[in-house]
Amino acid sequence: MGDDDRVFKALADPTRRLLLDRLFERDGRTLTELESEVAMTRFGVMKHLRLLEDAGLVVTRRSGREKLHFLNPVPIRLLHDRWIDKYTEPHVSALVDLKTELEEMA
Amino acid sequence: MEKVFEIYIRTTPERLWEAITDGETRSKYQFGARIESDWKPGSRYEMSNPSGTLLGEGENLEVDPPRRLVQTMLALWGDDVKSEGTSRITWEIEPVGDSCRLLVTHDHLADGANPQLYGGWPMILSGLKTWIETGEVLTTPGSLMYG
Repeated sequence: MGDDDRVFKALADPTRRLLLDRLFERDGRTLTELESEVAMTRFGVMKHLRLLEDAGLVVTRRSGREKLHFLNPVPIRLLHDRWIDKYTEPHVSALVDLKTELEEMA
Repeated sequence: MEKVFEIYIRTTPERLWEAITDGETRSKYQFGARIESDWKPGSRYEMSNPSGTLLGEGENLEVDPPRRLVQTMLALWGDDVKSEGTSRITWEIEPVGDSCRLLVTHDHLADGANPQLYGGWPMILSGLKTWIETGEVLTTPGSLMYG
């Protein structure tokens, strides 16, 4: 599996996206802290964190006896520069603006 | 507050170190901003745009080529960041197979620090990877805003 595949796969799960959002709000959290944020077993959260780490979206560091988890947004930027930027040229974003505007009016 | 940014780049530690510390190369991927220093421990460095406006400055605390560079940073590119005070940036280069793992740790940030201070790292590191691996300059909007 290539790097991009691992990142897309890691992002294609609501629990993993939730974990990333929690780290975005506050970085450098322990497993115990993250576990309390999601309705899932410790083992389940560990499995998801492992997948996020393999994709490079989470970087861990030891601090004394604790393992801290940090969000690494760089792989998302790489996806953006490789896969998303070229599809979001001005003509495409104009349509997104129109959609947002119409939906806000509704 | 501490932020961590990791990227893998297919290159040697020496070439990566050169790309980080060479002023001209730096401007290819850091929003067009140049960096100047003599890269001695305790020396100063300055970041500026091509017309010479100072965008940031700091001290090189540790200089250990091609593995480790620790710097302080005082952001000067806007009134909203000037009041944020001095933070610290640690660059760590580790060879992994035919590539290098580059870890940038930005800490000594105030709690709730202005995201402008550290929000540019993903774009900078993506541009650095593109420059080293392809020789091309990333043209994502905003990537050369100071160029």
